[in-house]
Amino acid sequence: MAGTSKGEVLLQLKNVTKSFGGLTAVDSINLEIRKGEIFSIIGPNGAGKTTVFNLITGIYQPTSGEIIFNGSSIKNLSPDRVLRRGIARTFQNIRLFNNMTIMENAMVGQHPFIPSDLFSVTFRLPNYRAAEKKAHNRALELLAFFGSELVMRKEEYAVNLAYAVRRRLEIVRALGSRPKLLLLDEPTAGMNDAETADAIKYIQRLRQEFDLTILLIEHKLQVTMGISDRIAVLDYGKKIAEGIPADIQHNDLVIEAYLGRKVEGA
Amino acid sequence: MFVLASTTSGIFIQTMVNGITLGAVYALVALGYTIVYGIVELINFAHGDVFMWSTAITLVVLNSMHVSTAVYGFALIGLLLLMIVIGAVVSGTLNVAIERLAYRPLRKAPRLAPLIAAIGVSFILENIAELWLGASGISYPDFFPNGGIVLGDVTIQYIDLVVVVLTVVLMYGLNVLVKSTKMGKAMRATAQDPEAAALMGVDINQTISFAFLVGGVLAGVAGVFYSLVIPVYAYNVGFELGLIAFTAAVLGGIGNITGAMAGGFLIGIIKALATNYLPNGSDLSDAVVFAILVLVLALRPSGLLGQQVPDKV
Amino acid sequence: MSASPSHFQQKMQNPLKSLGIRKKIGDFLNNTKFLNRSLSWYVTGWRVGVFWGLIALFLPQLLNFSTNFLDQTYFAPNILLLDAILCGIYVMLALGLNIVVGYAGLLDLGYVAFFVIGSYTVAFATSGIIRNIHSQVVNIPALTFWEAIPLAALIAGFMGVLLGAPTLRLRGDYLAIVTLGFGEIVPIVIKDVPFFYGALGFQVPPAPVVNTPFGQVDFGNPLDFSAFYYLTLAVIILIVMFNILLRNSSIGRAWIAIREDELAASASGVNLVRIKLMAFGLGAAIGGIGGVFNGVMTSSISYDQFSFQVSISVLIMIVLGGIGSIPGVIVGAILLRFIDVYVISTISNMLQTNTALANPSNPFHFLVSFNLNTTKFLIFGLVLLLMIILRPQGIIPNKRRQLELKGVGLAPEELSVIGEIEREEEGSSAPPESVEGLGDI
Repeated sequence: MAGTSKGEVLLQLKNVTKSFGGLTAVDSINLEIRKGEIFSIIGPNGAGKTTVFNLITGIYQPTSGEIIFNGSSIKNLSPDRVLRRGIARTFQNIRLFNNMTIMENAMVGQHPFIPSDLFSVTFRLPNYRAAEKKAHNRALELLAFFGSELVMRKEEYAVNLAYAVRRRLEIVRALGSRPKLLLLDEPTAGMNDAETADAIKYIQRLRQEFDLTILLIEHKLQVTMGISDRIAVLDYGKKIAEGIPADIQHNDLVIEAYLGRKVEGA
Repeated sequence: MFVLASTTSGIFIQTMVNGITLGAVYALVALGYTIVYGIVELINFAHGDVFMWSTAITLVVLNSMHVSTAVYGFALIGLLLLMIVIGAVVSGTLNVAIERLAYRPLRKAPRLAPLIAAIGVSFILENIAELWLGASGISYPDFFPNGGIVLGDVTIQYIDLVVVVLTVVLMYGLNVLVKSTKMGKAMRATAQDPEAAALMGVDINQTISFAFLVGGVLAGVAGVFYSLVIPVYAYNVGFELGLIAFTAAVLGGIGNITGAMAGGFLIGIIKALATNYLPNGSDLSDAVVFAILVLVLALRPSGLLGQQVPDKV
Repeated sequence: MSASPSHFQQKMQNPLKSLGIRKKIGDFLNNTKFLNRSLSWYVTGWRVGVFWGLIALFLPQLLNFSTNFLDQTYFAPNILLLDAILCGIYVMLALGLNIVVGYAGLLDLGYVAFFVIGSYTVAFATSGIIRNIHSQVVNIPALTFWEAIPLAALIAGFMGVLLGAPTLRLRGDYLAIVTLGFGEIVPIVIKDVPFFYGALGFQVPPAPVVNTPFGQVDFGNPLDFSAFYYLTLAVIILIVMFNILLRNSSIGRAWIAIREDELAASASGVNLVRIKLMAFGLGAAIGGIGGVFNGVMTSSISYDQFSFQVSISVLIMIVLGGIGSIPGVIVGAILLRFIDVYVISTISNMLQTNTALANPSNPFHFLVSFNLNTTKFLIFGLVLLLMIILRPQGIIPNKRRQLELKGVGLAPEELSVIGEIEREEEGSSAPPESVEGLGDI
């Protein structure tokens, strides 16, 4: 497994806590994500996984603690600033721009690279035209990563896409910003076995072809165990375990918190 | 506005007294904004006009009863209660009807749509009133006797006392309603997460209707109080008053019931002071209230008493 | 041509008795492409745009020509041209507000404020007169009308940014109430702050005379508004072009993205405050330009011309025409002005002068005292409410908006069904060109 123990730290969460009123959703969590690895966060519902994503991407501000990306703090940055630093994400409940075309969705993902000042845009200055053209070509490339379907349907509205394809388009949009770190929030949720297997493949391809570090939230154990270099387990906002998949699988705490509760609840 | 005292400190205290009285009215209207916003996240632009319709209907009823001068004793209590009930029924029914006809069909539409509908409803209510009773102000039959408690230079009118005391009683009742009753719990649950509330067996439509009913009833009562304090009916009174009351709701923290009450009284006092101490105060006090609105939104959008709640991501 | 020689001979032999000649003509016409197209082909897309564009271009000539056969007492060309210019000013406002409401999805309920700012800017700038704090007249260097236009756009845009900066960080509905308040406060400030001539009103110098290679053009001639009409038209065309350029750009994409899903847009790198401020400021600037034309055209401005009703009227125009659709909002503005200026007063007059109604025994006698002008805003309010509930996409929908206004809140599966139905409808009612013609502007 590449980079399980060595490699420089890309993202670091130091004692990050987030509370809403009286409820502590994330409780002094420490995480280190290293360059090039696929790191999964697992845990039962309500464990605070998505909150961690929202804290990293600037949607929430941490109550306390520090978040360091690529050597500098990204705490208290707005989501667009975080993106410009190199962290892109997808959402658990796919948030595409439904009434924009597939191409436009892919282009919005590249917003930081296209001039959007009034002057360049109104007069279609050369730098604007060049950036638009480049973004268009790049969008085509990214769409082609997932085969020909998205390319052929590029002028269709995103709303018309099938569920699994919508997840792919969301990844295309995220890749548009040329991220160093990609956060995927349950990329296989709601997919059948064949689609899941496909997703596992493309997540691994993503890392290779785009030189990415991937942080994953996932429910399906066969996915996380199969592709993760390392896994962290959250429960009630706290990290209860961290390690390589084989260790996690046999960790008693994890089995009790994660699987045990599941049986109880069922 | 009505300032009675003559010495400098007397004028100041008298202004405060008048401000608190109007503040009670603002607080009652602000509650309607806050309750509705808390549950459906909609600024009910028509709320000020729902308030105005209480003043209009009670005016017409009073005129048809040939009430034109002050009444005393049990007749006063009876008439006051009757007007409060009429105002509450009119505004309550109206608010529920508006929700049912204009907002409910748009509950799943983009946010812009119900807001536009709300402004349309406001416009319609105002213009029907103008058509019916005319564009010029009509003096409201001031059946509440003049006079009050004189404390040196300052006079506290009996009506002021009645308005403030009844407002506080109503607010206490509202707090009990929201905190302790089943309907109140349903309202709070819906405000937090409508889908989860529905899954837990809360009838969402009924709960939303109830919220509009409560808001409307409070606005109706406020309409009667307002007319007794400032006895002039005008078809467009709801527009300005709605804006002030909304500012009060924002000041206290929108969605926060205690905040709306506090905000109402605070805005009442500030507006009274601005009216009295600024040149062209009666006009410019509105600008002051507006400046407060913008400042609060810019500096502390959760309001004085509001608390941060997570956005649903 | 499908008429063969035999047909021709038959017709010549006995033209009147030729059996079924009507049918023949019918066949002939049916065989041509001309009538084969459905009616909607002619009234959609760029064709109708060209038709109305030509009418707009030759309106002064058409109106003058009409005096040959129409009674001038009812049909005075110059007065009608004045109406057209005022209508054009509303078209500008609707186009400006459309950027804010239609593109960026922000609700501005105090748009009149920027209209006021534009009107007063041209008044001060071209007259060269302001008043100091003691209400004394102070002369300042006067600008020309041409310089006042960009100045007004700048000032109005700046005020828009100033107002938007604190509020645009918050949820959209707060912006609505803040703008509502702003629209109320600006006229009050103008009334009560001495600097603005307050309650007195203000005389605005007429638009200038310009020497061109083709001779003198008097933009301010009250006896012939055609020069000013063309100026208005030209500015509208510029604003439309500006809107299209913005719409099909990185800025336009970002606007639609924030309208659709602010959070996802932000996570895609869109700076929310900046992009919203841009929409709000540009909308305000165009409102300011509208104000300049209004100031010059009405020549005397005072605070009470700028009511909440103006803001709402403009909003109704864009909701009526189609939120986010350029042809839509233009049609909405023209339609509402037409109803306002002609239809309502005509019906009122008819009711009041009808001799049958004047008879007190007529059961409809009460209609005599029915003044539609006072109910005008009631009707407008109803139009707004009914449109937003029953046809939120407006008369000429923006395709994208249509989908959204009908569909958001439904599951993706349901949405895709709607999308498909709509594409089918478009396909059946008109050939593809007509859809392209409207584009997505």
